[in-house]
Amino acid sequence: MSATQVRVRPVVGPRVSGRTAGRRRAWWPYLFVLPAVAALGFGFVLPLLTVLRNSLYAGSVYQLEWVGLGNFSALFADDTFRTALANNLRLLLTVPLMTALALLVAVVLNDGIRGWRVYRTVTFLPYILPAVGIGVSFSVFLQLNGGLNGSLRAVGLDALARDWLGSPHWAIWSVAGVVVWQQLGFGVVLFLAALLSLPGEVTEAARVDGARWWTLQTRIHLPQIRGTIEFFVVTEAITVLSWVFAYVYVLTAGGPAHSSTVLEFYIWENGFAHGNVGLASAAAVVVLALAAILIAVYLRVRVRAANERAA
Amino acid sequence: MRRSRWPRIVLTAAVAAVSVVLAGCTAASPAGSGSGGAGDDAEHASLTYWYWAESDAPGANDWMKGRIAAYQGKHPGVTIKLVPQATDTLIGAFTTAAQSKSGPDIATQWATLPVLSQVWGGAVAPISDYLPDSERKNWIGTQENTYQGKVWGMPIYLIGIPLAYNKSLLARAGVAAPPTTFAELLRACAALRKVGVTPIGGGNKDGYFGAWFFSNFGKQNLDSVGDLQQAVIGTTDIRDPKVTGFYEPLHQLHANKCFNDDIASLSLDDGMSKFAGGQAAMAWGTDGIVAKWARTLGPEKIGVVRTPTWGTGKLASVYNTTQSSTAFITSWSAHKKAAAQFLGWLHDPANLTSWYEATGIFPADTRFDQATITSELGRSLWELTSSPGSVWLENYLPPAVDGDGDLAAGQVITSGGSVADAVAAFAKATEKWRGQNPAEVKNYTTWSGR
Amino acid sequence: MPARAAALPRQVLLAAIAVICLEPIVFVLMTSLKSADEYAVNRAGWPARPTLANYVEALAELPTLRWALNSALVTGGSVLISLVLAAPAAYAITFGEFHGRSLLLGANVGLIMVPPVVLVLPVFVVMVNLGLINNLLSLVILYSCLLVPFSVFFLCNFFRTIPAELAEAGAIDGAGPVQLLWRVVLPLSRPAMLTLAVVNAIWAWNELLIALVFIQNESRRTLMAGLSLLQGRYSTNQPLVLAVASLSMLPVALFYLFSQRSFVRGLTAGIGK
Repeated sequence: MSATQVRVRPVVGPRVSGRTAGRRRAWWPYLFVLPAVAALGFGFVLPLLTVLRNSLYAGSVYQLEWVGLGNFSALFADDTFRTALANNLRLLLTVPLMTALALLVAVVLNDGIRGWRVYRTVTFLPYILPAVGIGVSFSVFLQLNGGLNGSLRAVGLDALARDWLGSPHWAIWSVAGVVVWQQLGFGVVLFLAALLSLPGEVTEAARVDGARWWTLQTRIHLPQIRGTIEFFVVTEAITVLSWVFAYVYVLTAGGPAHSSTVLEFYIWENGFAHGNVGLASAAAVVVLALAAILIAVYLRVRVRAANERAA
Repeated sequence: MRRSRWPRIVLTAAVAAVSVVLAGCTAASPAGSGSGGAGDDAEHASLTYWYWAESDAPGANDWMKGRIAAYQGKHPGVTIKLVPQATDTLIGAFTTAAQSKSGPDIATQWATLPVLSQVWGGAVAPISDYLPDSERKNWIGTQENTYQGKVWGMPIYLIGIPLAYNKSLLARAGVAAPPTTFAELLRACAALRKVGVTPIGGGNKDGYFGAWFFSNFGKQNLDSVGDLQQAVIGTTDIRDPKVTGFYEPLHQLHANKCFNDDIASLSLDDGMSKFAGGQAAMAWGTDGIVAKWARTLGPEKIGVVRTPTWGTGKLASVYNTTQSSTAFITSWSAHKKAAAQFLGWLHDPANLTSWYEATGIFPADTRFDQATITSELGRSLWELTSSPGSVWLENYLPPAVDGDGDLAAGQVITSGGSVADAVAAFAKATEKWRGQNPAEVKNYTTWSGR
Repeated sequence: MPARAAALPRQVLLAAIAVICLEPIVFVLMTSLKSADEYAVNRAGWPARPTLANYVEALAELPTLRWALNSALVTGGSVLISLVLAAPAAYAITFGEFHGRSLLLGANVGLIMVPPVVLVLPVFVVMVNLGLINNLLSLVILYSCLLVPFSVFFLCNFFRTIPAELAEAGAIDGAGPVQLLWRVVLPLSRPAMLTLAVVNAIWAWNELLIALVFIQNESRRTLMAGLSLLQGRYSTNQPLVLAVASLSMLPVALFYLFSQRSFVRGLTAGIGK
């Protein structure tokens, strides 16, 4: 059953169609959706078709030659592309971490301690700040002799100081760290809202039965918000696949030596900076394919989360 | 509810149809008109100039705005709109605009390969067709943009890359004279390390330090630029130490702690500023930047030398000068004559002087009045920069090889990697370029064969 | 064993999280109050001589205000236009009946997550053909299109919660769909539209990639694109760059602190409540 059918049922049959006895369908809905459809066509359909077409050609923009699937084989032979793909997968590894941490904070706040709203505000603040501002700030903060290492050295933790942005081993993990830092708040707010909407009777009953805190969370609370958790996981998976350009561009520019490049940056660099439209379009097709899989999953878990909240 | 399939088909078709119609509308209108025939009057034109120079020469934007105002005063029928470009989108923005043959009348790209790539793509009108030789013979550096007997762009200024040194810091370490050979450089580094001074200040987070190193050292085992070109095309092996052996001295400098420890996480400017702050004893810089350092530290405190000799090729003894950026007329401009006249006017001797006074960078013209140079340091810099036979090797790399190659490969070393890895990265960059750009490889080969 | 988490570990955890969340922000603010010289010697500590000089320079000499104005124009324009495009469509999907209705809604939901990077090159070419490069209008157009999917989805969810009697209130008197939308449904939807506007505005204000590609003229840049430009150009003056960064984050942060509910509601709308 597709996700959309659950929610598109009009509440009480067709209402404003203006029809009386005839079976002639009203035409006003077509007019109402036309501007939006045109916008979707221009902003999405047209570019996507163009990208698909360009992915089958190679060369500079002046001299495009048909190469069929040649771009795709060049893509997978390119070290930098493989690094980009691997880096997106590395970023994916942060999703379980983000989720676990956000859940932990959310369940703790759900206990209703004093000032929980303040903590919620504080953790959500990073999420709404612009990625560029955050990235620029962290690019200064994470320098070898910058703020983070300075603080570590000040408290005697010299051994932990690293070249966060200048080392090919650490660069992508530094990007990952900034992503987690920003996205954590979204999870906390999401999970907290879901937990707060749970019926109190179940929790009370469990407490009366003498359930310990840990058991209460893992056996009672978390299973009830499973849909929300799934939704967060999938949303974050899509985020680290296709919404991290600003971080990489500002923090490391994909360096050093392409060690922190990601798929979006690869497309930008090859398509825009080097003018390799065909190769970049092929990479874009790969990103789309991966995103499509995740989007399909996303549509499914959205239903489940909606049903869970409605119940 | 009836579930027939065709509503979906109709809707999808409608969306597709709408987008095709939109595509038709948008693709059909070329914004620029053709080849500047009847309408090309040098005294009546509206020009757009995509300009880049500020990063090389702080003060350039204001200078150009002033020159444009002056020119418009003299030629009331001409208006020029100046659009400063950003470094990281300089190539991409023009390439993509040129794809639809619309954009500026005058554009800027870095010299040699970035310009020639556009020439091969048909986006450039050769300036030698619009300005007589009498006007062009005083320009310095036209060999950087010559192809098939035509000069395709105009140099405005010259950038030299000297090695600046702090006299008092060297004295403190007991280094009597600035190093002229690589062995002396290493010894100086050791001496400076002993007294706790950073020998060379640099930043390679954005890769440009590695590119400068490539240009300063990479040519030293070559006898001519052709040696590099053959390796780029693949006729000779790019892994040959003659071509990529310069990663060895870079590695030595890094391993002997001749650079500041945070070279990998600082940008080029940030790293160089350690010299200005008196924390580093030496640094590579451009003429304009060195002039700024002289103002900060005091002109008698700093000196300049050419890059220490390391290699044994014929090019080891030439200096590193380039026009860096080139102004050219686009092939679709409807006002080529007007554009050429304006560009040529920028080499008016009065303009040459005002350029130097505004930026501290030398103009690319033999008519430059050297009396304008008032400092000893300035005269040393002019001597170096105008020395004959200078080659800026980076110009001869295709932009993609430049980015993926010497920029990235240099970062391998400054992040602690090995020479073998750096050489491999460079080699892969050339292989990828050859695989992805068959047409450009052909043009490059023809050009290098000359 | 209480059914609450033990007090001490709980406090430690929350304190640690709070510190981690706030330290970088504090670092940015602290650094922006230092002069470049002081920063050279004191990278991590409190400013010994705090100064607002960087902010003055950021506002008076750098194009910060112009960039912010550009961002504001683009944000305002695209939020408004996307609303105008999405509201009728959402209304038709919710209250109307037509072929392809569920397909359209499904398409909108799916398109929410399409990465802009795959769209930017082809649209750039179109904009060049239309002569709109370096024109803020190009950003307004593309942003409006990209905001439509989420807007349609969000408004559909909200419209569904409007009781039928209210929505049909005028139908008996013969009011057509246009009047019902304009006179009845939209006024009822003000809080939702406000929330949607806030969420969309954040997206548009924060956007970088498209703004970088479409606008090369320095004075026409948006604040985010301008900030990334400064990062390179003023890399020797980090406090100045961070002052601009602080200013860029200020509007959103202030807005958030004063109207949290809109934010939370809007951004968690993904669950379809």
